[in-house]
Amino acid sequence: MVKVALSLGPGGDELVHLENIGLRYDAGPEILRDVSFSLEAGSFSFLTGPSGAGKSSLLKLLFLALRPTRGLLSLFGRDIASLRRSEVPRLRRRIGVVFQDFKLLDHLSAFDNVALPLRAAGRRPESYRADIAELLDWVGLKTQAHMMPPSLSGGEKQRLAIARAVVGKPELLLADEPTGNVDPSLAQRLLHLFHELNRFGTTVLIASHDPNIIQSGNVPVLRLEKGRLH
Amino acid sequence: MRPLSIIPAHAQPMRTLTFALGVMCYLATLALGGLMLVEAALGQWASGISSEITVHVTPRSGSDVKAETAKALDILSATDGIISARELGERHVEKLLEPWLGATPALAELPLPQLIAAAVDPKSPPDLKALERRLASAVPGASLDTHHLWQTKLVRTASTLRRLSLAILVLIAFSAAGLVIFATRSVLDANRGVIDVLSLVGASDGFIARAVKGRFLRSASLAGLSGMLGGIATFAVLGLIDSPAGNSGLGAASAELLISAPSVAAATYAVFLLVPVCATLLSLATAHLAIMRQLRGS
Repeated sequence: MVKVALSLGPGGDELVHLENIGLRYDAGPEILRDVSFSLEAGSFSFLTGPSGAGKSSLLKLLFLALRPTRGLLSLFGRDIASLRRSEVPRLRRRIGVVFQDFKLLDHLSAFDNVALPLRAAGRRPESYRADIAELLDWVGLKTQAHMMPPSLSGGEKQRLAIARAVVGKPELLLADEPTGNVDPSLAQRLLHLFHELNRFGTTVLIASHDPNIIQSGNVPVLRLEKGRLH
Repeated sequence: MRPLSIIPAHAQPMRTLTFALGVMCYLATLALGGLMLVEAALGQWASGISSEITVHVTPRSGSDVKAETAKALDILSATDGIISARELGERHVEKLLEPWLGATPALAELPLPQLIAAAVDPKSPPDLKALERRLASAVPGASLDTHHLWQTKLVRTASTLRRLSLAILVLIAFSAAGLVIFATRSVLDANRGVIDVLSLVGASDGFIARAVKGRFLRSASLAGLSGMLGGIATFAVLGLIDSPAGNSGLGAASAELLISAPSVAAATYAVFLLVPVCATLLSLATAHLAIMRQLRGS
């Protein structure tokens, strides 16, 4: 089993634990086969592999959009097989996700898109206005706060998606090809953002097949090929 | 700065729903108003009928109908519970027969019965059976009409109309609920992407249901108010165009329902206000159940 623990030493808390995970869609072939690894709190790692290797499916398992067809998956010490539907939202609030296609709501402003996880958590607007303004400043979108996503560039959307993923101060941050739509210099800036978050204690797992990004830092790499972890 | 609504305002199914619910609320207002008109009219007629009795003195060969009428009047006047009694006169009897026989001088030649109208004290009515017996023994040609048959028919009519109106209201409520279920599914389908994102950022089913229901609250209250105002306007127009002075038809009754006695008008408006309130509550409850069912099934 692959074990990732960079920031914390051995014995640190396991945030994510997968054991012999298998996943198939309906009656199709297995997309993931016998995947086993664990991520410890505060770790930073990459998930890589060719297109179709199962990276996005693995991330979907980790943010509970899918359930494994076999094996053990535990998040924050909870076996998700025993998780009730009503418990899922609370667990998801501990996870920030940067989607490959951003999943921004086009009818909401940049500000309201970032505020979405906080509204979903029941926070009142007065309590988060200043935080979001600061966060938008941090990702370089202060002046675009009132703009709608369709009028933002690809890089701006990417940063907006990152801001939304981290606004709830998640313990685990999952990013699916977060540098796929941006130029190399912006990709490095975004990566710097992720490292900064990791320094504040967030466990980060980035799925990417961009070798420049993966080799840019001395971090563990989980390599998926044909649904198996190598 | 107020946060924007999470479900887009331009969701097409909501416009169709608002229109259809508005029409239903309009029909519900008409049904309620119609029910109130019928209740008021029947109440007036029934009270008129039950507060009056009629004695018929039928001429027979050899009888003195005038003397018998006077005797019957004496008996009525001496009866406890009778406030007043008066002979209606031949002209009045002829007028009652005119719709059937026409205004012909030949009516004067016919042996018409004499009619006596007596007002009954509603607080202590007379013993009508005893009165009938006294009249029968003292005035052989007299018969007492207590309008019991009419009262029974009116009560039956009122009850039928009331049930019909309630059935219409129940049908409207069921149709509205069906519409809301259909619209809820359409809204959820049309906003599947938004709902997926909400779910992925940690929104509970309750939060998503509240966000979607916000749209239904606006739609149903707007439809309810528009339908109610449309219904009130219809009764007002009826009152204006069909209410000549002294007329006691539908127009006059409509006008009376809306603008006459303040207590009647206040009760009318209070009943009409039930339409938007019930439409909103029904829509919210139906939408909530439909949303939760769909979310749990997804």
